[in-house]
Amino acid sequence: MKAIAKTQISELLNQVAREYNVLVPVAGADKYAPYTPGIELKLNSRTLLPPKDVFFPQTEKMYKFSTDGMEGSLDSLLTTPKPQLLFGIRPCDVKSIHCLDHVFLSKGFVDEFYAAKRDNTFLISIGCNGPAESTCFCQSMGINPQDTDEVDVHLFDLGSQYGVVPKSAKGEAFVAKYAALFAETTEEVPAVAEFTLNLELDGVSEKLAQMFEHPLWEEVSRKCIGCGACTYLCPTCHCFDVSARVAGTQGFRFRCWDSCMFSDYTRMAGGHNPRPSKKERVRNRFLHKLQYFPERYGDSLCTGCGRCLSKCPVNMDITNIIKQVREVDLV
Amino acid sequence: MTQVAVAENPVSPLVPIVGKIIKIVTETPDVKTFHVSTPDGNKPFTPAPGQLGMLSLLNVGEAMFSITTQGPNHLEFAIKKTGVLTDALHESEVGQTVAVRGPYGNGFPIEFCKGKDLLFIGGGIGLAPVRSLINYCVENRDDFGKLQVIYGSRSPADLVFKDDILTNWPQVRDMQVDLTVDRGDDTWQGNVGFVPAFIEQLAPSPEGDKVCILCGPPIMIKFCLQSLAKLGFKNENIITTLEMRMKCGVGKCGRCNIGSCYVCLDGPVFSLAQLQTMPPEY
Repeated sequence: MKAIAKTQISELLNQVAREYNVLVPVAGADKYAPYTPGIELKLNSRTLLPPKDVFFPQTEKMYKFSTDGMEGSLDSLLTTPKPQLLFGIRPCDVKSIHCLDHVFLSKGFVDEFYAAKRDNTFLISIGCNGPAESTCFCQSMGINPQDTDEVDVHLFDLGSQYGVVPKSAKGEAFVAKYAALFAETTEEVPAVAEFTLNLELDGVSEKLAQMFEHPLWEEVSRKCIGCGACTYLCPTCHCFDVSARVAGTQGFRFRCWDSCMFSDYTRMAGGHNPRPSKKERVRNRFLHKLQYFPERYGDSLCTGCGRCLSKCPVNMDITNIIKQVREVDLV
Repeated sequence: MTQVAVAENPVSPLVPIVGKIIKIVTETPDVKTFHVSTPDGNKPFTPAPGQLGMLSLLNVGEAMFSITTQGPNHLEFAIKKTGVLTDALHESEVGQTVAVRGPYGNGFPIEFCKGKDLLFIGGGIGLAPVRSLINYCVENRDDFGKLQVIYGSRSPADLVFKDDILTNWPQVRDMQVDLTVDRGDDTWQGNVGFVPAFIEQLAPSPEGDKVCILCGPPIMIKFCLQSLAKLGFKNENIITTLEMRMKCGVGKCGRCNIGSCYVCLDGPVFSLAQLQTMPPEY
């Protein structure tokens, strides 16, 4: 396997920054941000904010318009970004991009705003040799914390260096292009350290399909304050609102992240709301993650990144809910 | 220099095209039908009966509506005044620029309906989506068996599409229109009573694999389903069309799900048999 010394990462990033807009995990801000030489990287764990905004920004203008009395016109604001390189994403977040691809690129309609950025982004992942945080449970969600195939280049953490493995044709070309920075190593990838948070997921999706009316939802939703923090931190939550800003005769329509935890989310003109209370909203969120999305796309919509359980102000915990679901005795 | 022919861009799923309101029909005190064309007088797109369109006033907002029918060069949206956008649409005049995108959704199962007798049931503005299929059947009359429309509204003034229900449809071969209102007035000669009771009174037979297509307020649907069950209609042959809040129309924005189905993509048309396999959250 090829390898690069960890001390050489900044040199690699300096070089690739000539070709790409490079996005790196930044310490402090705890999110992915443009690389600048000397910026402090967070390479020992996932970032608090997931990388979904690289493809699906928190707010994104879709088209601008102008109006003049009864007249009006509009122009798409779709742009193709400069090639970008997303460096250092963890296997859990790689899986989340796979989930977002299902949503934005399949079922007959390609979301051109997402596709423009996704097609133009080169992915380099870094494996975890164990749980990076006490809230990590990716392994229980069927993810290999150390390795992933759905990137262009993957880096194995070998202590003082990263093992470099191309995972796509583009990745092969990349490794060849920057070969001067890589040396051969015989070092082995270490065994994965044991996770402290472990779940049994077998049959949970099927069981949930029979639990729509179960009193569990009333119980677990009681403490939710509907703040939506879980949905903003979630790497796979992709719901959005479409709204407009108008100033005089000019305006633009944009989309922005929305949350299924908000009461207005499903409220229709006229007032009818199919999910009127916390119970329906919390139930929908967990069923979407664990039953509806698997039914629709064949993948869980939870990657086990642990962000929601680490930051929920009232300690809502999807792992705990999964455990409770497993304990339910369906008569 | 000769202009090189450029292939038309595929219609974007999220960015609309500009259109014009070319005609406005006042149906009732709170329902108007808007005829929409492109600025050069063409149909913005060709929907199948039952499909949806996203209509917007650029500086007000955007919402999903059923496309109640279409002409060779226009789409029609029958819209009840019920919120910010629909209030503004009701204030609009002919010539107003709008934006439109679509078509979205599955539409009515036309092949399934072909050769069968059809019973259409509508309540209030709920006749709007059903009308797209009724007009399709009228235009392709030989492809379908007998047609019956049972339609009710709160009062005679609230009956929509009066030209169709009073004049056009009753003249179509083997087509019957039965009207009812919750409350009559001095001039109303027809039936007075709620739609479900009127169905039981008319007692349409489910024989011959008859298909019932219904749409109306949720409470009307609920009691109509009971009436149809009493009459012996099969769940597979009862078809309705649902409404949900939508932002994208293409299964991405997340809010119109019922279980693992998205109403904008997998619906809005569902059979009762399908709905019974889905969570009752609509």
